[in-house]
Amino acid sequence: MSEEMTEPEICQVRQGIRQKYDRVAAAGAGGCFQYPTGKAGMDLQGYPPEVIGDFPPEVLATFCGVGNPFSLGPLNPGEAVLDIGCGAGVDSLVAGHLVGAGGRVVGLDVTPAMIERARAHQARLGLANVTFQVGEAEALPFPDHDFDAVISNGVFNLTLNKEKALKETHRVLKPGGRLLLADMVLMAALPPDRAGRVENWFQ
Amino acid sequence: MPGKDFLALMLKAGFHRVALVRYTGFKSSPYTEGALFYGEKLAAGQARDDLASQTEPAPTPPKEAACEPGGT
Repeated sequence: MSEEMTEPEICQVRQGIRQKYDRVAAAGAGGCFQYPTGKAGMDLQGYPPEVIGDFPPEVLATFCGVGNPFSLGPLNPGEAVLDIGCGAGVDSLVAGHLVGAGGRVVGLDVTPAMIERARAHQARLGLANVTFQVGEAEALPFPDHDFDAVISNGVFNLTLNKEKALKETHRVLKPGGRLLLADMVLMAALPPDRAGRVENWFQ
Repeated sequence: MPGKDFLALMLKAGFHRVALVRYTGFKSSPYTEGALFYGEKLAAGQARDDLASQTEPAPTPPKEAACEPGGT
């Protein structure tokens, strides 16, 4: 759809995404999404209770993922993992547990308020192998072949250039690296009016 | 974007063994549902495997996990 969008519509999408996730960073995910969030959402998606059981409630409350990328395959001790669109960092911290002290996890998000929140969560949990930084999926600030696995949860649907984001993801993976991705997909035709199509982008 | 179109983009980006593994039941609008995708970057000397499961699974039937619009 990006080719069909006007510049003002692209600005509206970007502004809508930023405003929505600023609200989530400030007040948690509750009430911002039309599906279960927080610990209830994680439980429904089968997140490992032996890992998230150690997470404080205020950390779990910021989870707004659309699925469980960890259900797609294991992350192994010692691996390097990138979490694209990490939000408040819940999935990054889960990954940090799974790869252990010998591994490393980088959480990346376009929203500075989310990165601040993620860093606070990381400090609270004391996971020294997890770091967070601001950045975009379409221009990943990492060298080629840097990660064993890339995870992402509910983010690629928000990007305006999905092909570029996927090429960047492929670039930073090591040969044999895995992409474990949860995302929203269209199941029915969007409303015919342009305003509805733009608003649906960041619902 | 429909799942099959996203799978095509994954292949175009260079991934192989791409698959839409299953739907999650989480719906952000009447038009969208969560889905789980998998893909790999070719290892050195490995042949592409583009015929891996690209077929879409059946949509998730309605269940408690999908909130009413406006809910949390």
